[in-house]
Amino acid sequence: MEPERDWTGKATLVDLLDRVLDKGLVISADIIISLAGIPLIAVNLRAAVAAVETMLKYGLLETWDDRELTATHSSKLQTLNS
Amino acid sequence: MNEARYLYCISDGDQKEDLGKIGIESNAVFTIPYRDLCAVVHNCPTVPYKSEDEERVKSWVFTHENVIETAWEKFGTVLPFGFDRIICGTGDMNAESNIKEWLIKDYEKLRQKLDRLKGKAEFGVQVFWYYKKIAGHLPEQNEEIQKLRSEVQTKTGGLAYMYRQKLEILVKKQMELEAKNYFIDFYAQIEAIVDEIKVEKAKNSENGKQMLMNLSCLLDKDKNKILGEELDKIDKRKEFFVRFTGPWPPYSFV
Repeated sequence: MEPERDWTGKATLVDLLDRVLDKGLVISADIIISLAGIPLIAVNLRAAVAAVETMLKYGLLETWDDRELTATHSSKLQTLNS
Repeated sequence: MNEARYLYCISDGDQKEDLGKIGIESNAVFTIPYRDLCAVVHNCPTVPYKSEDEERVKSWVFTHENVIETAWEKFGTVLPFGFDRIICGTGDMNAESNIKEWLIKDYEKLRQKLDRLKGKAEFGVQVFWYYKKIAGHLPEQNEEIQKLRSEVQTKTGGLAYMYRQKLEILVKKQMELEAKNYFIDFYAQIEAIVDEIKVEKAKNSENGKQMLMNLSCLLDKDKNKILGEELDKIDKRKEFFVRFTGPWPPYSFV
């Protein structure tokens, strides 16, 4: 199988968020600099995506295959957000 | 004004370079070099990017990833930062001096990381199983479950309820064992062909699928075909479903 490369799709958005919100290079603590933290809204975004996944699970939204999701992500995403 | 520096990644590179206005809020992205590596940044205010607008935050995150992938392509290897890492000035040091100072102090460590990750990429592997399908096959392999299932069918009322409870507990226990064994098997299959693995938290399931395994794998960027073929073996089994994503910059391995 080929890896999904398009991280703008709804399915891979979660994969992207998991990486950019929780991971990445850490600057060692003994260096005296100011570091701004993660804004709350970025974490809220992931909660919103998770909420959509829960709604899918309980049949409150139209269900579709993960593969179909990534193939038609742009039009479906507009439907979700309307 | 824009005295702080927003950090995207550390890369190979020994010159101050401009990558264009590809940064968050269309800011100009450029590099701060030290010896043979550099920090990829844009000038930003001394506060984190914050918004109530989900679409806006999403576009920032996409931009963040896009800048890192642009640097990846341009410079070859990157050590990505997470979203919204900003360095400010302190006392009489401005942000750029602070970054330089950090690059000097941590040069060896950063150089080692860059060398270790040269030519590699991160790939996400998630294996799901169709819980009901596997549970449905259990009686074939497990005598106790099979016996209990036929006994449930001969009982009525309260007794039947008790037997069904007992059956449910047994099935749940057996499924936990199955999950553990499949995890061990698939993990071994994958471990044999990648450089490094991080085990991530399994996420909530949907559509009758339950996530069994969530891995971040590090391997040569152009060797993903071998991993893909191994994952095909799992994916084509009717009880399992595999999600394979990447190549990602090595967020999980820095």
